[in-house]
Parts: sequence; C-alpha cells; structure tokens
Amino acid sequence: MIKNYIKTAYRSLLKNKGFTILNVLGLSLGLASCLLIIFYVVDELSYDRYNTKADRIYRVNEDLKLGENNVLYAVCMPPLAQALKNDFPYVENTVRIKRNGSKHVKKGGINILENNIAFADPSLFDVFTLPMINGSPATALVEPNSVVLTESTAKKYFNNTNVVGKTLTFEDNILYKVTGVIRDIPVQSHFNFDFFISMSTFPDSRSTEWLRSDYNTYVLLKDATDHKKLEAALPAFLNRHSGQEMQTQLKMSMAAFEKGGSFFRLNLTPLTDIHLKSNRSGELGPNSTIQYVYVFSAIALFILLIACVNFMNLSTARSANRAREVGVRKVLGSSKKYLIAQFLTESILVTLVATIIAFITAIALLPAFNQLSGKEIAINSQTLSWLIPVLLVIVLVVGAMAGSYPAFYLSAFQPIDVLKGKLSAGFKGSGLRSFLVVMQFSISIFLIVGTLVIYNQLNYIQTKNLGYNRNQVLIVQNTFELNNQANVFKQEIKQLPGVENATLTGFLPTSQWKNTSIFFKDASFDQKKALFPQTWEVDEDYIKTLDMKMAAGRSFSNQMLTDSSGIILNEAAAKFLGLKDPLNKPLYRSNGGKQDISNSKEYHIIGVVKDFNFSSLRDVISPVVLVLAHNTGALSIRVNTKNLPALLSQIKDKWRSISPGVQMNFSFMDQDFDASYRAEQRVGTIFVVFTTLAIIIACLGLFGLAAYAAEQRTKEIGIRKILGASIGAIAGMLSFDFIKLVFIAILISLPLGWFLMNKWLQQFAYRVNIQWWVLVLAGFIAIFIAFITISFQSVKAAIANPADSLRSE
Amino acid sequence: MIKITNLEKFYRTEEVETIALNKLSMEVKTGEFVAIMGPSGCGKSTLLNILGMLDDPDEGSYVFNGIEVAHFTERKRADLRKHNIGFVFQSFNLIDELTVFENVELPLIYTGVPAAERVKRVEEVLDKMQIMHRRNHYPQQLSGGQQQRVAIARAVVNKPKLILADEPTGNLDSSNGNDVMELLTDLNEQGTTIIMVTHSEHDARYSHRIIRLLDGQTVMENIMI
Repeated sequence: MIKNYIKTAYRSLLKNKGFTILNVLGLSLGLASCLLIIFYVVDELSYDRYNTKADRIYRVNEDLKLGENNVLYAVCMPPLAQALKNDFPYVENTVRIKRNGSKHVKKGGINILENNIAFADPSLFDVFTLPMINGSPATALVEPNSVVLTESTAKKYFNNTNVVGKTLTFEDNILYKVTGVIRDIPVQSHFNFDFFISMSTFPDSRSTEWLRSDYNTYVLLKDATDHKKLEAALPAFLNRHSGQEMQTQLKMSMAAFEKGGSFFRLNLTPLTDIHLKSNRSGELGPNSTIQYVYVFSAIALFILLIACVNFMNLSTARSANRAREVGVRKVLGSSKKYLIAQFLTESILVTLVATIIAFITAIALLPAFNQLSGKEIAINSQTLSWLIPVLLVIVLVVGAMAGSYPAFYLSAFQPIDVLKGKLSAGFKGSGLRSFLVVMQFSISIFLIVGTLVIYNQLNYIQTKNLGYNRNQVLIVQNTFELNNQANVFKQEIKQLPGVENATLTGFLPTSQWKNTSIFFKDASFDQKKALFPQTWEVDEDYIKTLDMKMAAGRSFSNQMLTDSSGIILNEAAAKFLGLKDPLNKPLYRSNGGKQDISNSKEYHIIGVVKDFNFSSLRDVISPVVLVLAHNTGALSIRVNTKNLPALLSQIKDKWRSISPGVQMNFSFMDQDFDASYRAEQRVGTIFVVFTTLAIIIACLGLFGLAAYAAEQRTKEIGIRKILGASIGAIAGMLSFDFIKLVFIAILISLPLGWFLMNKWLQQFAYRVNIQWWVLVLAGFIAIFIAFITISFQSVKAAIANPADSLRSE
Repeated sequence: MIKITNLEKFYRTEEVETIALNKLSMEVKTGEFVAIMGPSGCGKSTLLNILGMLDDPDEGSYVFNGIEVAHFTERKRADLRKHNIGFVFQSFNLIDELTVFENVELPLIYTGVPAAERVKRVEEVLDKMQIMHRRNHYPQQLSGGQQQRVAIARAVVNKPKLILADEPTGNLDSSNGNDVMELLTDLNEQGTTIIMVTHSEHDARYSHRIIRLLDGQTVMENIMI
C-alpha cells in the first residue's frame, strides 16, 4: 500500500512540475532559513554548557545601592571566594578570575599585544571543564609566575604544545613559567582567555577588603544542593564578614546602611544564564540577550508558517485537478483513511526533498550567515547527532502540518460530485484559503514594519547629535606605553599641519574606560545625597578637541593653576545635585575609607558641559564629572586634512622617534562608535535578510495561487473576452481578488506592527517615533510586491486567445 | 439481487427543489442485463449512483442481496461496494498517474488482496480484455476503445456480482463501442449482473430488459428477447 502511495505521489509531483518546483522551492527556502536560525539559537543557548558541572556552577554577583545610585556588579570582593568555601560545607569549590588588561608578550624579538589575559585561582580546572593536554591541572596555577596557555596560543609562541617548563616574557621584564596547556576554550563560553596567570602572582588577590569588588567569583556547589539555600544564607554571611569594615569606614552598621535606603547584597547567577541573561558591570566579555533568541525564534516560526501555508494553499487550489482521482479511488473502494494517508505521504515526500535541499543550502550559506551574525557556527558530527533527528521531526511535522488540510479537504469529496465535474469551478469558494493568504501577508507586512523601524532607529543612532563630534578624530590607542613621553608626543603632534587639536586621556565617550567615585556636595557627607558619577581624568584640550559645548562656565586651562582642583560637571550631574547656579560651588570627593573631610578632596565647579552620550543610546545619560589630571591612556587627534594617509605616516614617524620598540595602535572615533552598535546592526541586517525571504516565500505562494485562479477561470475569461472585455479589465478583475486580501492583511498587521515595534523602541532612552509614512510605506510595499506577482499571471491569462480557452472546456 | 421500493431523491438549491426520483420501484434479478434509458434529466444517473451506493436516497427502500442499504453509513456502503460492484464510466475515469496494470490493480489493493495474487489476477483479466501488451502504458497513451477496455478490466478484476455502466460507449466510435458491448455481454453470460445507463437504442438492444424513465418514474419496461 505505502509503495503505491509513494509511486502515485512521485508521478503526480512529476506531472505537475511547475507546482512541485514552486512548492519545493518555497518550502526549501523556508526550511533553510529556519535551519540557519536554529543554528543561531542553539549556539546562543549552548553557552557554557561544555562544562560538565555547568548545572552546579554559579557566579556570585553584587548589587549595590548607594543613595540614588544603583549598580549591579558581576564582580565581588577579593576574600569572598575563600570565605564561601570556609563557611558553607555544601560549597564544593570556588574560583576567582580577574581580567589582566592588555600586555605585551615577547615572541622572538617582537612584542605582541595580547588582550585576553586573566589571573585565576588554582581551582579553575576543577570548577570549569578546561581539559589540559600538557601539565598538571591540580598544580598548574599554584606557584606565582605560572602561566597556562591555550593550545593555539602555545602554537603561536612555540609552534607546538609540548611547552611546559618554557618561559614567556611579559612587558619585556616579567618572566612567566608555562605550567600547562589547555584545549582552546569553546567559542560558546562567556569568557575567552588565551593566558591564565596564577592568582598568587597578583598580590592584591590576598587582600582582605570587603568593601570593594573586582573579582569575578564562581562557586561550585556539591551535588543536589539547591542554590537558593546558599542565596538565602548570603545576607547573614555578608554581614558577618563586612560588618566590621563597614562600621569603621562608613561609621554605620549594615542595618543602618540599609535603613537609609541603600543596600549591599550578594546573589547568584547560574553559569548557563550568564551569556543571555546577565548584563552587569564587570562582565568578563560582551554578553548577548535572550531577547534576540526570542525574536529570531519567532521569525523562524513565521517563515516556516508562511512556507507551510503556501504548501496547503497550492495543494488545495490544485484540488480540482486531483478531485477526479479522488473520486475514482473512492468508487473503487478506497476509504477516506487511505486517501488521507496517500496525501500525507505525498506532502511528507515533498517535505523530505525540500528538507534535504534546505539542509544543503543552509550548510552552503553558513559561512555567509556567520559573517552576518558574527558567529562561528560549525557543523560537526556532534551537531549532526542532534540535527538529523530534528530534521526528521521537521519532515514529519511540517509534512503532516502542510499536508493535513489538503488531505482532509480532498478526501472529503463526494465521489459522484467530482466525477460529474461539480468541483471544477470551486476555486473561489475556499474561505480558509483566503484566510491563509491574509495570514501570510499579515506576517510579511509585520516583518516589513519591523525592518523599517529597526532601520530608522539605527539610522537615528548614526546621525543623532551625541554632544560631541566623532568625525575626523584619530585615536592613538596605546599612548600609555609612552609613559612620561606621552605629553611630549602630544605636543609634537599638535604642531603637525592638518592637526587641529589633540587631547591626552583614555576616558572617551567611545572607549571602555570607566571610573566611578563618590562625591558629596557638602561637608555633612550625607549618604543619601552622594553623587556617584563617572569620573574622567582629562586635560585642558579635551572639550575643544571633542567639540563638546559648554552650558555654563569654562573649560580647563593650563593658565589657571587652581584648575587642578577644578571640576566640570555634565548637565545630568548638575541636575542630580540640584544646583541652580553650580559655578564655584564645592564638591568633596571621597578617597575611600572613612568618609569625612579629612579623607576627601575638595573641588570647585568651574563649568558645566552639555550632556553627551557616552554609553549606549539605550541608557539615559548619567552624571559625569571631568577632572584635570595627567591620564596618558590614549591620544585623540582632531584632524583637518584632505591627505589623511600622509598625516598618519607623519604621526607614526613621531611615534617611532619616541618609542621605536612598540607598535602604534590607532583607530577612528566614528568607527569605534559604530562598533558599539554592531549587535544592533547585525540584528538589523539579519532581520532584513529574513524578512526578504519571508516575503519571497509568500510571493511564491501567491504566484502559484494566481496561476491556479487564472487556470480555473479560463472559461469565464474566454466568455468575457468574446463579450468584449479588455485585457486590462480582465487582468484587473483577476488581480482584485488577491489585492483585496492584501488590504485586509494590512488592516490587521499595521496596528500590530506599530504596537510591538513601539515596545521594542522602549528599550532605547533615545529613540525615533514611528512615523506615519513607515506604516504607509510598509503597506505600499506589500501591495506593490503582491500586485507584481499576481499581474504576471493575470495578464498572461487575459491575453490568451479566447477560442483556445473555450475549446479546452 | 436488487429490489427498490418507493425510492425518492430530491436536489435542493436555495430556491428550487428538483425531484430526481419520484417513488420509483424496480427489481433486478441476479444474472440480468438491464438497460436504463430516458431523456436528459430523467433521473437515470441518480438511480445508477444510488444503486452503486455512491449516493443515498432520501426516502424509500433499497435492498441489495437481501440487505437493506438505504441508510447505510458511508463506510459501510464503501465496504459493501468494493466487494460487490464494478463501475464503468462514459469518460473511463482512469487515473492518469498510474499505468494500465496499476489502474486495474487498484481495487485489489483496496480489498487487501496479497501482491502475488494481484499480479496473477490483473494479468488474467488484461489477457481476457486483450490489452496485455499495453500493461505498462499510461492511459493517455491509449485510444478511447483501449481505455474503456482497461476501465472494464478494472471493473471486473475483483469479480463483482454487479457491474454498473454509465453510458460506456458514449465517448467511443461505433466499432469500439460494439467491442465494448460484446465484452459486457460476455461478462453477463458468465453470470455477472449488469445495469447500464444509455442513450443509445443500439446499445440497449444488447440487454434483456429496458427500463424507460421520465421525470423520475418508470414509464415503460420492454423485455428483449
């Protein structure tokens, strides 16, 4: 029986080549898109799951609220890890990781700048699954000045991995002994380091201070321990350990501290939640958000739905052609059950072929998709082990879903009706088919609205006045390596023709440099009125070079000796302090430790700079204060020249004359800015690509439907033409049936799209409003595309010779 | 074999009610060859559909082989049909996607005959209909006469007790038409009951008895000698 089904299905598909190609093509496209998105989502969801103990590992976080300032940290206090291990028997182990900035590592005679270096406790290899291929995991990170390399780093520096006992030179003078080589850390890890240096190398790691946080701390719980048990014990634990210090430094108990509306708490994040659900200060790397996983899953589902609807629509539209077969089979004794099985077999067969094509297409497109999404997804035997069952399920589910309506619809035909040809005119009758077309186009139009809004917002980000001018700014990123020569370098650069100005500091709106400190506006040191701003150390050329505008007062000047205790606020900081006329008012900066006048520095406000964006446009501009200091982090150069390459080579010459052994790293401020919105850009691009695909698939379906509609109405068209209808009138008549449906889809999807995209925009503190023309444009695009698709068939039907069409009846 | 009593069938559209069969009664004995004649719209196709259990009557009784089937469910009718009745249509109604052999094989598949047995029986009947040489051809590669032979082969392959033929020669030229009538006569002589709807007086002469219908009622019965 099944052989007979497959045989009939195969021949029927072969006979209707156009239909089959349309169906397979639409379904393949849809499935290929789905597969790529599945790869993306699975990749996102697989972060940190390579750890065999992943379900028992938690990161300890700190939530701090001080006055009006609320900060969430991914880092904790230096002694926390050891204390947790001592205090709780169900804590099996703990490990601290601390990022160690960028360092030069010597290979032969060349210094290479390495960015992925961390200090780690010896327990690193017990908690995380980082298999060691050379060396002893238990002891590798015990001794000071030990370093463990990843496999590819070992190969990079020594050309092989058998390197335990060799030494590496950091910063020209520090020697580290290689004590282990681990396999490269999987891409799907929330941290990615090339070098792990033993924590004992870093004296600060032995600090017993409980009021500062700078170590990423992880706990490994014993089997079958509920992490909530530990979380519940944390407040008492924290009070026990930090209470004393709090009393001496803040002159208050934890209870009093909390009574004032502030708090200081610890909590846990499961390891596998870090990548998608954590966005705290002090993360070990850029994380993603679960929102993208949801959005992409929804798009995948939409596309699959559209492709399935195509299948259903084309199959039922074609039912008139299959009706006679159904009738004959029923007369010959086929039951409804057999017929349903037959049509399901057919659709599963088509889905199978489409899935195979989709799989090959997805594999072929994977490199391009990786580039688009910024991922490094690879298909290996491990992927196939879950992918093949998933594909089989897809074949069965999609095949059954897409085939079920035609199967039940066709099998319900009354044999005498179809044998008498009563169903041949049944095209217009299907309300369900119209409903499905409306649904497809509603989804497509919604996706168009989404794309337009995302692009508008991205464009807004690109063109928004940020409060500073990021164009024509060249940044030399590593002037800190010039040490006390940095200012000499700056002065020499300022002399170059084509250089308007230059400012020496690492604190830039586009850089990752962050520094916060505590300020009090009067000598009472009232916690509640504390200001907790970004505190940026800049020079006197800062405001001018970055083209920031003053709202009041003046910028720093090297003529004014008192400016070393001068301070410039941004408008947000001035507003926070509630100062009507802030100029010349004092501000007290806490030096840490005891908070009183003896332990703080007094500043006076010399100016207020207009607000400028420095973090993401998602966030409201927070208070920033600028102080005059000699920070050599980077040199930002405002250039004004047509011949940038020539200027750049002059700058490089100056650099070489000062520091011949070190390479100059540079970037452009506008590119740095764009880089910080790369995630949004990527999402935008992915959205556009998949929206386009969704629309193409929907149009394939519409194209097929229009063809069948025209075919069904051949006789009517012939008669109308004989009676004198023009080609235009007929094409219009045929098109109108579909355009009507697209209109309904517009009415449904535009309000929905407007509503949902407004919600998306809410996450940006600075955002566009959805303009009326976006909605009109989306509707217009849908009608235009649908019209082009349909009119091809309509015109073809309209210009056919009526004598032919009538004869064929 | 067949006894219908006061059979009624109406067709309703939104405004009009058409009476297709009006208290029709008739009887067909096993081994008979009956022709049903009448003008277009007299109800003869409706009658044939009811006799073939493709349709059910609104009123009246239909006893087939001693069983009252007038209000059988679709499933029961289908079951009874596939074991007892073969159909021959004016427009042949072969399935284009299947070969001659596969078309004829179809009823055997639906009645669950094992594969080896199917091959034997299909070959046997194709041989009898003299279209064995065309067994791997598709319907559209055959002439009309050949297609109707295949259709008859398909109708008889399950050895039905009754064959219902709806204008079997309507789409054929006279020479092919005569061949088909000879085939039906042969089948009847071998014991199969045949009821045939036709417009052709010539074809009707092959039967034992002609029932003439008008407006859903029997107006005359001719016994042929």
